[in-house]
Amino acid sequence: MGPLSRETWAQRLGAFRASPSAFMAGPEGEDLGRDLLSELRSEKLSEQTKVSLLALSLEYPAQLWPDATAAEAAATSLLDTLVLLPPRPSALRRPLLLAATTALVAGDALGPTSEASRRLLPLLLGLASGRDLGRGFGPASEQRPLQATACECLRELESCKPGLLGGCLGLLRGLLGQEGPVQPLSLLLALALRNTLVIQARARARARLQGLLMAGDTPSGGDPWNWALAEEGDARLQPQAPSWPAAEEECGLAVLEPTPEEARELRAAVAQLLDTSYLLTPVAQAQLLWLLGWALRGLRGQTPVLFKPQLVRLLGTAQLTLLHAVLALKAAFGEALFTAQDEALLLRRLTVAAQHPALPLPAHLFHLHCLLSFPENWPLGPTGEEAAPLLLGPRLCRGLLPSLLHDPMALLARLHLLCLLCAEDEEKEEKGQDWSPRHYLEELLAGLRQRAALDGGPRASATLCFQASYLVVQGLATQPTVLTPLTHGLARLYRARPVLAPHFVDLLDRVGPELGEPLRVALRQEVVSRPGRDEALRWHLQILAEVADGNAQSATLGFLGAAAAHCTDWGLQQALLRVCRALLRAGVGGGLADLLQALARQWEDPDGRDHARLYYILLAHLAGPKLGVALGPSPAAPALASSLVAENQGFAAVLMVQEAPAPIRLSVGPHRAAGPGPVLQLHVEVLEPAYSLELRFRVEGQVYAPLGAVHVPCLCPGRPCSPLLLPLQPRRPAPTRLDVRALYTTPTGLTCHAHLPPLPVNFADLFLPFPQAPEGDKLGFFEELWDSCLPKGAESRLWCPLGPQGLEALVSRHLEPFVVVAQPPTSYHVAIRLPPDSRLLLRLEAAQEDGVPVALRTDDWAVLPLAGDYLRGLSAAV
Amino acid sequence: MAQRAVWLISREPGTPFCGTVRFSRRYPTVEKRAKVFNGASYVPIPEDGPFLKALLFELRLLDDDEDFIESRDSCSHINKTSVYGLLIGGGELWPVVAFLKNNMIYACVPLVEQTLSPHPPLISISGISQGFELLFGVQDFLSLSQKNDTELNTKLNQLPDLLLQACPFGTLLDANLQNSLDSINFASVTHSQKQPAWKVGTYKGKPQVSISITEKVKSMQYDKQDIADTWQVVGTVTCKCDLEGIMPNVTISLSLPTNGSPLQDILVHPCVTSLDSAILTSSSIDAMDDSAFSGPYKFPLTPPLESFNLCYYTSQVPVPPILGFYQMKEEEIQVKITVNLKLHESVKNNFEFCEAHIPFYNRGPITHVEYKVSFGQLEVFREKSSLVWIIGQKFPKSMEINLSGTVTFGAKSHEKQSFDEICIGGTAYLKLHFRILDYTLTGCYADQHSVQVFASGKPKISTHRKLISSDYYIWNSKAPAPVSYGSLLL
Repeated sequence: MGPLSRETWAQRLGAFRASPSAFMAGPEGEDLGRDLLSELRSEKLSEQTKVSLLALSLEYPAQLWPDATAAEAAATSLLDTLVLLPPRPSALRRPLLLAATTALVAGDALGPTSEASRRLLPLLLGLASGRDLGRGFGPASEQRPLQATACECLRELESCKPGLLGGCLGLLRGLLGQEGPVQPLSLLLALALRNTLVIQARARARARLQGLLMAGDTPSGGDPWNWALAEEGDARLQPQAPSWPAAEEECGLAVLEPTPEEARELRAAVAQLLDTSYLLTPVAQAQLLWLLGWALRGLRGQTPVLFKPQLVRLLGTAQLTLLHAVLALKAAFGEALFTAQDEALLLRRLTVAAQHPALPLPAHLFHLHCLLSFPENWPLGPTGEEAAPLLLGPRLCRGLLPSLLHDPMALLARLHLLCLLCAEDEEKEEKGQDWSPRHYLEELLAGLRQRAALDGGPRASATLCFQASYLVVQGLATQPTVLTPLTHGLARLYRARPVLAPHFVDLLDRVGPELGEPLRVALRQEVVSRPGRDEALRWHLQILAEVADGNAQSATLGFLGAAAAHCTDWGLQQALLRVCRALLRAGVGGGLADLLQALARQWEDPDGRDHARLYYILLAHLAGPKLGVALGPSPAAPALASSLVAENQGFAAVLMVQEAPAPIRLSVGPHRAAGPGPVLQLHVEVLEPAYSLELRFRVEGQVYAPLGAVHVPCLCPGRPCSPLLLPLQPRRPAPTRLDVRALYTTPTGLTCHAHLPPLPVNFADLFLPFPQAPEGDKLGFFEELWDSCLPKGAESRLWCPLGPQGLEALVSRHLEPFVVVAQPPTSYHVAIRLPPDSRLLLRLEAAQEDGVPVALRTDDWAVLPLAGDYLRGLSAAV
Repeated sequence: MAQRAVWLISREPGTPFCGTVRFSRRYPTVEKRAKVFNGASYVPIPEDGPFLKALLFELRLLDDDEDFIESRDSCSHINKTSVYGLLIGGGELWPVVAFLKNNMIYACVPLVEQTLSPHPPLISISGISQGFELLFGVQDFLSLSQKNDTELNTKLNQLPDLLLQACPFGTLLDANLQNSLDSINFASVTHSQKQPAWKVGTYKGKPQVSISITEKVKSMQYDKQDIADTWQVVGTVTCKCDLEGIMPNVTISLSLPTNGSPLQDILVHPCVTSLDSAILTSSSIDAMDDSAFSGPYKFPLTPPLESFNLCYYTSQVPVPPILGFYQMKEEEIQVKITVNLKLHESVKNNFEFCEAHIPFYNRGPITHVEYKVSFGQLEVFREKSSLVWIIGQKFPKSMEINLSGTVTFGAKSHEKQSFDEICIGGTAYLKLHFRILDYTLTGCYADQHSVQVFASGKPKISTHRKLISSDYYIWNSKAPAPVSYGSLLL
């Protein structure tokens, strides 16, 4: 793309800023980063346009040059552009330095192997040292701002790669003592010093601090960059001002044991920084204090007294950052820096700042927050919760109490303080004064309710009233003297403005029973005593659906009966039905059935009618617990907000069957060879109680007649259940598998359906003995059977391997019920009936050491392979 | 300490988005650190569009106040500071420091150097106060001598360059943006060793020091037995020191006459180099007694180039300058009012102006007024439903003036008449507006001899004083009125 005009660029940048992601996804996105770099060298564009291009690259490097390679190339290009600038004043040098730094850091390209890094770092350090870098780096007038900018770039690099400047501490100190710009050098030195200390402590390295701090003005030969230290630090970024509770472990400077000389040198460096700190802007002073405070905390041989001379000056100011920094020092050093008197003074200044008319509201609120999170020397309460510090007595708080004239946020913040005071007040004796904090609190809440009750008033004032009520309940839940008037007041507010019903429902959902219980009663009374037919009816029904329970049934039902006639549209009908649901859930019976029946007859809307009828049927047919579950929130999707969906899911949960993983284990017991047909003996175990269990079986391949279901009323884990008998009706004598499904009810009333693992039915499970052979002529009986098999059937001989137990054991274990003639231990004649009407006859004779030859006949040739498999498998199936 | 992003959003009710992002600036290197520090709780800085929407929703500045929305209106969704969490793209962007001032929303997101869940306490996050200071700085810059939209646009256009100077990498270097603007222009000046960062150049010219004391008096008067009237003076001392040299030392003293009211709650400018502990500890929290420190209040300082607020103070004067009562009774569509105002004899009876504004809220337009005033004139603003009693430059010799009358209202129409949440029913007030030049209520003054300058040349010293009213309310004594806790402790 050729060079673009200023206007084109302005348009392009505008489009990019409007939505960077959309722009980058568009046709021009890909080229933007490249175009930007090349345009910076264009002679047609003004400097101002180029600065705006650089500004873009400062904000969106990740979009322009998304990977490390692109970022490295971009930084190189930016540095080239910088070098090629003509030696006259230019507004581009500063932004070019910033942009190159940003590109390297944001693109993850910064490192010892990056060529651009190796160019940028010495350049920055050279500029920061005020060295003459030749005419290419601008006229003398620009040196000072460039020096400051280079320091800022180095500070950013050190922030992102802690430890990088560990080798430059001495150099920086030297510069600070000479003519360098105070603020950038001070901040850079403080950060590098802090990072070095923390990294050395973490690595438990022997501090070479003195050496670092004393090193000459210029780095002695070679690279001053401490990539090794930066690598150690890189594992974890260094919080420059770690949050207080975490700070203890975070820094762990206690392990550093500097020698007395090192400690002295360190103290000198810190003192040097603090002494010139008044030359810094207030925000920079605050940064310096945060850095140094946490750098020295816990370090042996360092007393925080160094900070003392600064404190009085800082405490007097109106600057938010400075007071905040003093609080950080307070948290870092506690009693070591602040005596009890100092603590009291700090608290008073904070109290003043939290209400000073000259300060803006956001500052007031932040100071108030600081007051309630004040880092006390000897805190009493649990940490992490807002509480009034011990030294902040009622007298100090007087100016911090809320009034109706305050902005909502200020009112809530101050109300919180008032609640804390009331909570303390309760512990003391009531002092008999007319205007106790509690009395004042009541008046205030009444005022808020009056405002919320105003017809046509903004939603915000209603919200404020409920937020205040919620805060009070949170803080003073145990004080009936507060809650009773609050309950009555809220009930009156509802009477005045039923349109606030959603706020009431929200409040009831969030407060504990201390307010919830009495407020429910009050609201129910409020609603049922005022039958409405107008707009308010909708809200009344919404409230009732929340508060209706088993109490005051007749009044509630009376109200609903009267209201039903006015529920002409679908929405109102559904609202009324929601109340019915709530009553159903609460176990309200008789009167409700009448009401539901009336609704089912009376309403014209089919949906409303159907629902009423459904509820009636549920009420008539389901027992209490089941009904409760049917109407309760569904365990499957409790989060859905729509009541209709929730309702449907409630039904789905109960009236439809839930698919569930089986808590039931089924196994086949020993074979019972008796009776007219084969019967499977099933053992059932459950992992959780199951009621009304129904087991349904399906035969694979339809080789048996369909099987009937088996019912068990109740099963409990660990309680043995007698075996279940499942009669089989084979259509062919063949093994198969049974597909098993279980249907049962859980203790919570849900009906569940589970698919169990299939049950195998073995060939031997079908074996039945022949009816008793005539006594005395068993052999004749057998021979008769034997002969009858042929010619229709089949004959075979096979070798049945024997295990070590021998033939006798084998027969007694597997074939005992079917033996017709036995001549132990050598010969057995076995006759097996196979339903529906097949037979299998075996002659086991002349057993040898390791097996027995078996002659077998059957009248069903299809049985032959099954019998063969069975016999061969016998010895294995011990 | 760093900021991840900054926004300026102008509020435009009635437009589709209800606002426009006028300026935004992101800091990708800080964002990089946020990602590491916040870990799993990291939520990236959104694009301007989604941010605008989420912020306006949270601040209740969208035009959809009609319905109850749980995520905004729930009673447990309580903000006690100007720090918010915004729901954006399934995550919560926190902490967002934001406030609305003169239809402009100032917002930034400070870096938190740890995980965000659970939220660490705000007091432990250094970036919060730095963020506030940045936003206050931008706000000061925009509001400084800004008169119209064109000037606002000019200043907004300067912001990118200024932040490049004052906050190049997201860590604020100077909250005084005017200073940064000057430093761009001062770039050619050679600096010497001890140049403070808050002073970008040196003054050349005739030495002069100007000190002006402005006191604002506010009051709540009820004219009731069981509720105490309250009043308070808030003073601001503004200085401009045009002195040669890099670090000229100046000491400015404020003095009180023998019967003056002690200054309390003194907050000083950071250029003040040391403070007497008596100044630090004199506070309105304590009960007043005769031993209270009553000056002179000495402030040794090294002044910056620009005009600055040397200090703020409050004071409790023994009596309010004007004591009055206001009685209003409703009688169907009209109200009867009686007003009495009395100027205290100790107060300088020479006003630049003095007016009593009597608004009638939540009522229809004024259709008819019958009145009698003992002094001054009454102006009637029918559509605004308010009366303005113009008292003029002086109270009469008796120091006491009266107004009585009957005001009749027409039917209320919702669009035109202003709605007020406080003035419901008989609850009503009148508000006094006045200004007295060359006078302070506390008596506080700075004279030529009270200024010591340790610099070459004897400077010309000029001093100014004025008293103005601010939130000076007299409530209808015939109806309930909002009170603060202090009013109840008789």
